[in-house]
Amino acid sequence: MTAAQVAAAAPSELQAPPVSGNLVVAGVGGQGVILASNLISQVLLDAGYDVKKSEVHGMSQRGGTVVSHVRFGPEVHSVMLEPGSADWIVAFEWEEGLRALSYLKPDGVALVSTEQRIPPAAMLDHRERALAYPGLGDVPPGVVAVDTFAVAGDAAVGAPVVAQTVLLGALSTLLPFPSEAWQSAIGTWVPPKALTANLTAFERGRASGARVAAGESGVVAGVSPNGSAAHESRSSRAEAGGIATAPEGAVERLVPAVHIERSWCKGCDICVAVCPEKCLVLDKFDVAVFAHPQRCTGCGLCAWLCPDLAIDVGLVRDGGAGGRSS
Amino acid sequence: MTLESLKKTPTKGPPPRGESPATAGGTTLPEPPPSAEKRLLRHGMMPHMLCPGCGHGIVFEAMLRALASRYEQLDDVAFVAGIGCSSRVVGYIDACTLHTTHGRPLTFATGLKLARPELKVVVVTGDGDGLSIGGNHLIHAARRNVDLTCVLFNNEIYGMTGGQLAPTTIPGAYTSTSPQGNAESPFDAARLVEAAGATYVARAQSYRTREFEDLFLRALDHKGFSFVEVMTDCTEYFGRTNRLGNGADLLFSQARVEPAIDADLAGRSTLKEVRSTPVRPVLEMGVLHESSRPTLEESMKLSGAGS
Repeated sequence: MTAAQVAAAAPSELQAPPVSGNLVVAGVGGQGVILASNLISQVLLDAGYDVKKSEVHGMSQRGGTVVSHVRFGPEVHSVMLEPGSADWIVAFEWEEGLRALSYLKPDGVALVSTEQRIPPAAMLDHRERALAYPGLGDVPPGVVAVDTFAVAGDAAVGAPVVAQTVLLGALSTLLPFPSEAWQSAIGTWVPPKALTANLTAFERGRASGARVAAGESGVVAGVSPNGSAAHESRSSRAEAGGIATAPEGAVERLVPAVHIERSWCKGCDICVAVCPEKCLVLDKFDVAVFAHPQRCTGCGLCAWLCPDLAIDVGLVRDGGAGGRSS
Repeated sequence: MTLESLKKTPTKGPPPRGESPATAGGTTLPEPPPSAEKRLLRHGMMPHMLCPGCGHGIVFEAMLRALASRYEQLDDVAFVAGIGCSSRVVGYIDACTLHTTHGRPLTFATGLKLARPELKVVVVTGDGDGLSIGGNHLIHAARRNVDLTCVLFNNEIYGMTGGQLAPTTIPGAYTSTSPQGNAESPFDAARLVEAAGATYVARAQSYRTREFEDLFLRALDHKGFSFVEVMTDCTEYFGRTNRLGNGADLLFSQARVEPAIDADLAGRSTLKEVRSTPVRPVLEMGVLHESSRPTLEESMKLSGAGS
């Protein structure tokens, strides 16, 4: 089947299918990047294209970057994309999406989830924001930010990974393949127990995709069937997951903190020497002080090795001081 | 601290927490809650009397952490201790504690266990207390296989009485009674107790607190005489007399047999290189011996034995 035949088979309300194309799927480990690229490849293969797919997932088990390149056309020789050659980018994480933007063509479209997964390296400075996580205020051209949780609504309750299927729904409006082809590919690749939720998220994403196709930029949210209830559904998702919801505009986080009982500390220097991130110092009274909280990773070594039982390490609510401005 | 604030300090429960001195760029952080093991402390006794950087404190906290993971309150656990720095730590545990005469904690503990077999009895002793003055009691407690758990804090010196030579002091080490360097060979406490008939023998280090917690919990579960030797460091007498640096130097010297850790520690300018001075030989760690035979209570057919 050639691309021309594909064009003949495509529904008339869709634009003519491309002869060839390049996609980048990006995200972090555990978000289903590989599954999504398999699914897209399945749709393309079913449409008669030659498809080649590559993936980079070395650190995925530790929440690291996962990138998959998908190329299709009459005949594809190389699996890798050159920078500036991607027609579409689908990114499941905000920063990973921005990182992949160098692959985008000038007239390409990047569908980027607003979901944040703060990597451990950025966590070291998460309170002072010295290593700033990119905000939503400056959405680059060509990028469509999709609040996947808001769009997915109750479909993602209990299974946040399902929310990313919304992006596939939005992508499906940019590609000239019928909805059935996508649903069939989802049925092939998604485990049966998650099928219904994924199909629901896909349909809601497809509905939101109308605005994507119209070239509307900015954050796409609340286009789900429950409309303005999108924010409430997000809150209920957070409650279902046992996470307290943050007030509007502030991102509340649990951050590690160290308490040092000054009257018990004898200034032996062990915690200062053992801390891998050098968070602790001795003050002029030879008492340990938690001087650099922004570096603390909560490893607990200081508490384990404190001979005076003076140290407690735990997670506390960051009072919004490091909250992301949106 | 003023006298007024001292009066307000409660004897039960952790000290009150005021405004956090921890600030970062002007932002004040909330305080984390006290760790679980803190509920097992006699807060009126704290802070404890151990010297800065003393390894006993680290082992003590690890012991409390292990106990906090197992017990809500220590009403059914009795701690028996003799005389010495190590034995002082039981005074800070909110449990049934018995501070006894020098070298005799195991005899008191044997009597306690036979009278109250339903109690979990833990003996905390040191190398001078348990191996020198109480050495005879140690081997006989092991021989009888009384259902006790004995934790021996081995810091290779008599810390409390002024840094005298102990039966575990390594050859060449300087102490207040060996100014020319120690000429004697030390005991291997774990092997001694194993030979005497203990049914669970383990050795741990104060540096590896998590491993000690596991070994200690296994010792608590074991039926019969269980013995855990912990290598700790005396900073004030052993460390200073032998010019081994401060508590951190001594603590990390335990880990320097491992090349990866050694390489990491070598980059820390605050730490002292302590390999030029006499240090412990590399010792086996972990469970050294485990077997099963009838305990003394079972042989005497005491009710409540084996609980």
